[in-house]
Formats: sequence, C-alpha cells, structure tokens
Amino acid sequence: HFLASARGGLLLRAAPLFSLASSARSLPAASTSLALLAHHRHRQAAPKTTLAGGSTMDPPGADAYWNRETSKHGEGYSGKVIKEARIVCLSDPDDKDNEPLYRGGDKLPEGSSVLAVGTALEDFDLEALKEAQPNVVFVSHPKARGPLPDLLEALPSVDWVHARSAGVDFITSDSLSSITAQNNVTVTNAKGCFSSTLAEYTMMACSYFAKDLPRLLKNKKAKDWDRYDVEEIRGKTLGVIGYGDIGRACAKLADAYGMEVLALRRNTKKSLHDPYVKEVFGLDRLNLLMSKSDYILIAAPLTEDTRGLVGAEAISHSKDGAVIINVGRGPIIDEEALVDALQDGTLKGAALDVTTIEPLPKESPLWELDNVLLSPHNMDKTATFSLEAAEMFLFENVPRYVRGE
Amino acid sequence: MRSAFCKSLQVASRRTIFQTPVTSAFLTTAGSTRNIQTPRADPLSKEYKYWNREESKHGEYAYLLDMSPWSVKREARIVSLSDPNDSANDALHKGKLPYSSQLLGVGKTVDELKDLADKEPNVLFVSPSCPRACLVLPQVLEAFPTIEWVHVRSAGLDFLSPEELQSSSSIPFTNAKGAFSSSLAEYTMMSCSYFAKNLPRLMRQKQAQNWEKYDVEELRGKTLGVVGYGDIGRATAKLANAYGMRVVALRRHPEISVNDPLCDKVLGTGKASLNELMAESDYVVCSAPSTVSTRGMVNADAFAAAKEGMVFINLGRGPVVDEKALVKALKSGQLKGAALDVFAEEPLPKGHDLWGLDNVLISPHNMDQTETFMHEATSFFLMENLPRFICGEDLLNRVDVKAGY
Repeated sequence: HFLASARGGLLLRAAPLFSLASSARSLPAASTSLALLAHHRHRQAAPKTTLAGGSTMDPPGADAYWNRETSKHGEGYSGKVIKEARIVCLSDPDDKDNEPLYRGGDKLPEGSSVLAVGTALEDFDLEALKEAQPNVVFVSHPKARGPLPDLLEALPSVDWVHARSAGVDFITSDSLSSITAQNNVTVTNAKGCFSSTLAEYTMMACSYFAKDLPRLLKNKKAKDWDRYDVEEIRGKTLGVIGYGDIGRACAKLADAYGMEVLALRRNTKKSLHDPYVKEVFGLDRLNLLMSKSDYILIAAPLTEDTRGLVGAEAISHSKDGAVIINVGRGPIIDEEALVDALQDGTLKGAALDVTTIEPLPKESPLWELDNVLLSPHNMDKTATFSLEAAEMFLFENVPRYVRGE
Repeated sequence: MRSAFCKSLQVASRRTIFQTPVTSAFLTTAGSTRNIQTPRADPLSKEYKYWNREESKHGEYAYLLDMSPWSVKREARIVSLSDPNDSANDALHKGKLPYSSQLLGVGKTVDELKDLADKEPNVLFVSPSCPRACLVLPQVLEAFPTIEWVHVRSAGLDFLSPEELQSSSSIPFTNAKGAFSSSLAEYTMMSCSYFAKNLPRLMRQKQAQNWEKYDVEELRGKTLGVVGYGDIGRATAKLANAYGMRVVALRRHPEISVNDPLCDKVLGTGKASLNELMAESDYVVCSAPSTVSTRGMVNADAFAAAKEGMVFINLGRGPVVDEKALVKALKSGQLKGAALDVFAEEPLPKGHDLWGLDNVLISPHNMDQTETFMHEATSFFLMENLPRFICGEDLLNRVDVKAGY
C-alpha cells in the first residue's frame, strides 16, 4: 500500500528496506509501516563535481539504499524515538569490528540496547532472552546459516534481521525464508558500503590488461626496454552483469574514463534513466551483452538465477579480446568453461576476486594461467570495512528503526 | 553554403579584433607576472585555444574548405622535417591535403630540402623521427626565411632544445598537447591502484599459490599532487575526482587554475610550494615538461618533505626529477614506491638501479603509445591547425618557445 509522504512530495511505499537476493523465494512486504526515505541526498553544490545523490537518478519511490560515497551519517532521519531496539548479535564476541555494538552504554544510538552476543544457539539463554523480547538480530558470523532460523524460531518477537555484509548468501536457506515469512521479518544488509573500493579494483583490472601489466612486469625482470603499444580504456565498452550498487559505482568510474556502459539486471526499469548507462538489458539478453563488451564485469549476487549464468555459451558469444572481471560470487561463472576459454584464447584474460571455492585450491588451473589476475576475495577489504559496516547498522538503520521509519 | 560563408565572415572579423594585441603580447618575456596568454590558457575561458582529444570537436574548419573558396585566406606550402618512411606521417606525406595546401617536400636534413627554398614554403612540420632535429631545425629556419609557422607533431618540445631557438621565436610554434592526455591519465590511476591494492603482493602470492587475505587501501579520500598542471595534469585530475581523491595542483601560472573545479588547491612554483605539495600528497604525479626551470626540480629536498608512504609517478620527462635522489628515497623507504614511464636516459641502461627495485613500476615511455597515437597527431595538424592557418584563424596549441612548452 502507498503512503503519501510528508517529505518533499515523494511517494513512499511500505516495503522491506531490502529484499533478499533469492528471487525465487522473495520475502513479503512488511506489514508494519516501515516507510522509505530517499537516503541519497543531493550533495550541496561544491566547486568539485560530486556524484549526485540517488534521488535524482532513481525513479521516484525507489527503495532506499545507503551509499558510502554520497550518503552522510546522521542525515535522512528525524522525528521522535517511538520504540526500542533490543538487539541480539549472532556474531563472534571477539570480533573487533563490532566494537561499536559491544561497547554498549551511551555509545549506542538512542533507544537501542544489545541484549546478547553469541555464535551458536547454545551461547544464548533462550528462555531469559525470550522474556526480554528482543526485536532485532544482527548477523555477522560466517557460520550463521544454521543457527539463524532456529534463533528466529525461538524468538518470535524479532521483526528485523540485519546482515553486516553485503553478500547474504552466507545465511540464505529455505528454513530462513520460511521463518522470515512466517514471523514477518525484514532483512537488511550492507550494500553500498563497499562499492567504491570494488569500482577502483575494476578499473585497475581493466588497466591491467589494457596496458598489458603482465608484459611490463616480465620485461622488468628481464631488464628489457621493449616499447609496445598500449590500449586505451577510453572508448571501450564495459558490460555489467548485475547492475546494483557495485555495478553503478563501477559505471561511474567507467564513464569518467570515457567508456560505454551496458547494464544487465533483473529489474531493467530501475536503470532506464541512469545517466551512466547506455543500454539496459534483461537477463535474457546476456549473449547480446557479451557480444558487445570489451570488459565484462560480474557484480551480481549469487542466486538461483545467477548460478552458472556465465557459462560456455555466454563466453562463446564474447568479443575478441574480451576480459572478464568477477567481484560478485565465484559460482556465477562456470569455472571449467572459463579456464577453457582462457587457455584457448577465446578470452584475453580474467580478473577474479572471487572463485567457486575459496580459498582457491592449489590444483586449480587458474593459479598457473598467465592471463589471470587472482586476488583472495580481498579487493574490498580495507582496514576498516567491517567496522564501517557495523557502524552503518548502528548509526543508520537502528536510528531509523527506533523512529519507525 | 551560405551559413558557412557567414561564419567565415564572422570568423574574419574576430581575427582582426584579437590577432594584433594577443599575438604580439604572446611573446613577452617569461618573467612577466601577468602573461597575456592567460585567458587563452584557461580551460574555462571562452578563448581557450588548446585542443583536448576528449573534449574538442574534430575539424570544425575543415568543412569550410570543402564548402567555400572564400573562407581561404592564404595558401599553405608545407615542408616536412621528418623521416619519409615514418608511417605515422602518411596522411601528410601520401594522403590528400586540404584545399589550398600542398606538400613541397620531406627530408631529414637541410641538404635534402634546400632546393625547395625558391618555392617559398611557409609551413614547417617537424616530427621526432627526424634525427638530430635540435641541430637541423635552426638551419632549416635559416634556409627558409619564408616560414610563417612551425608545427611540432609531438607534445614534448625538448627534443628541439628550444632555448637555442629563441632567435627565431617570432614565428609561432604549435604542438600536439592534449592528444595523449587521457591515456596518461589512465596510466596514472593504474599506478595509484597498483600500489593501493598492493599488486606486487598479489603477483607474489599468485606465484607462490598462496591464497592469503590482506587489507587493501582505497584511493577515495586520498590526495593526488600534480606537479605541472597542464593538459595531462587536468585529465588526471578529472579521473582522480571521479575516484573521490583530493587534487593539489602546482604550475607556473597558478592564477590560471585557481577557479578550476577539479583542483582543491593550486600552488605556484618554488621550493616551498613543491615541498607543501609533497607533504600533503599520498600520490604525486609529475607531468611537467623538461625546461630550463624544471630540470632537476624534484630533488632530494622535495623527497625529504614527502608524506610517509607516498607514491611518486613520473610521466613527464626524466630530467625533471633528480634520479639519484629518487633511487635513494626508494631504497630508504622514504617513498613507498614509484611508477616511472620516463627516465633521464632512455632506453634505461641495463645496469641502472631502478630495474632491480621491487617497489618500482617501470614502463618504456610507452604509456601513451597507442597504435594510432602518432597518426592522430598528424591528423590533428591536417584537420585542425592547417585549416585554421589557411583560413587565417588563430592556431591551436601555441607554445612559448622561450619557456620550452
């Protein structure tokens, strides 16, 4: 149902703050009036050209997302605190990145408190906890998939689960979907927190192949002054598979470089007016995207639709000299098909921050291939990224929750 | 047809207003504080007379020549001081030239060309493929007193030893600045990312088949210092801005860039300014030309003032940096690393210390060397400046021969 907005005439709708990535098992809209705000405020005109906020780009009524580059802490919510946030953490009590949460006391936002921290069901005194009526679960433990649905079952008062990371595939499961549907639980995550770092990596990966960095490094070893032609990134085409926040941050940089950006996403309508994108494709036009792109960026989440999406068929449609960059999830690419294409020259190269199995097993042929840039799923791992994600939960979403927003 | 004719009339009247005071004042001494060249050198000014490959339109005037003989004010009789076998000049040597222009001859020495003197050549095209050009050029100018304009195919002029040309400096010189800026900007951002994401470590780990997570740095929020803020500096600042970096620019005429939205701070020349830039910047890119004033500018004192963990990038000219001081700073850890595309001596001698340093990215002065870059430079002469000359228009990319750039 729709609510008329008191803020600037925007049409708001009651919807989850974020919908879980698994398309086949979508969550219902929360029945409580969790209204949405346009988080992305247009930055005050500074002398420099800054990214305009999402409100000018996204169609009206778009879901509210927090973007580290453009959103400011403490903005975007106001009003009185109307309820408490009683938080249970399914996380490692020794995790320093959750300090802001564990510290507690007056450092926590108004109206919130942390009731318990644990990694498994046994760590919690469920009876006592049930009486305290917790309503929020904060999840950051990598092994949370098992305990989480059981925890929610045991604590029916919980109506909101926040995952500290952007990827939620570490907690998705059938039992989670059913319990969240049953208890009407909203799930949110940290998308937007890491996008710009990954965009930097993406442009570096493009440059790595355009300027033939492997050749430079080989020549340096041999002290060989071998002048060769380099390629420009300007004028090339970047195809983004999974055009979400990360895809958008990459498109912003690619656009500054003078690249043409083609986007592929589930909800094509959302990007129709995106100034960084030349064309938007639906999932069915993957082969077309592959045939037009010089650099293919996979920034999609892992879902039923995306698993194995980029396989032999898609790769066979790729342009001559195409480069694949994966910052989404390893299983989206059919790794065997990828290796074949890299070995026989169908693909010029690949830059992989994620692989099907992590850590990458020593037997994997990817280690030996010269035209592969491998990184251990750390290209968004700045010293403070998890801390910032925890802060985003605490200082962005919790204040909104307690104000009924 | 008619509108083109009207345009040529308008253009002619503009010429009479501007030509006299500007062209004569153009060659004021380098020491003058208020250089008349200022409005033309400011990218934000309407009279900006420099060509940038990303932003300028091609051949605005070429069509005029096809359209109407009335727009032609004079004939161009061109002599090319270059290697006849240099294929990058084919468009000039073997191609179709604009109306009212002819190529009189091509040669590498005065002897090869002196027979052409009685044909009264008025345009001299110089390309670096002419060996010993610094010696030959003055001789050619002496042999052909009818020369009215010298166009240098490349952006760098130092191969001509401009200081020695001052006696003939009443003739306008133009060059190819702006032709290669975006490629070099791409290289700069790649170099910054190379160190920020610790690519050397990635390479080592791949070699050892070691999947070990480590923290990466962001470029967002860091400061980029640009030493020599010309067209290349500006193209780099444009990208750096997109990444969310802060830009500190240093140039001889800071007043030109004071309103540049891409710069957070603009400094003038001098030891104090350079040290200030070095102290504030996380990444420093040196894109200054090699002139009497810049030689050895970035010396041991500058490196001593450098911020901790600073990365130094040189894509201007080797002689601007004191190479011994650079090596010392790299070895001692004062600098985190360096990315060098240019060196005091090129090719870099095999015995040079730089080859062996782990924290240095070496490229053989090819980071702007695309397949077509020199062909495009020749095109620029043929399609942009030559038509302007023929129509009596102001030429683009005037250089101050005495200043050396």
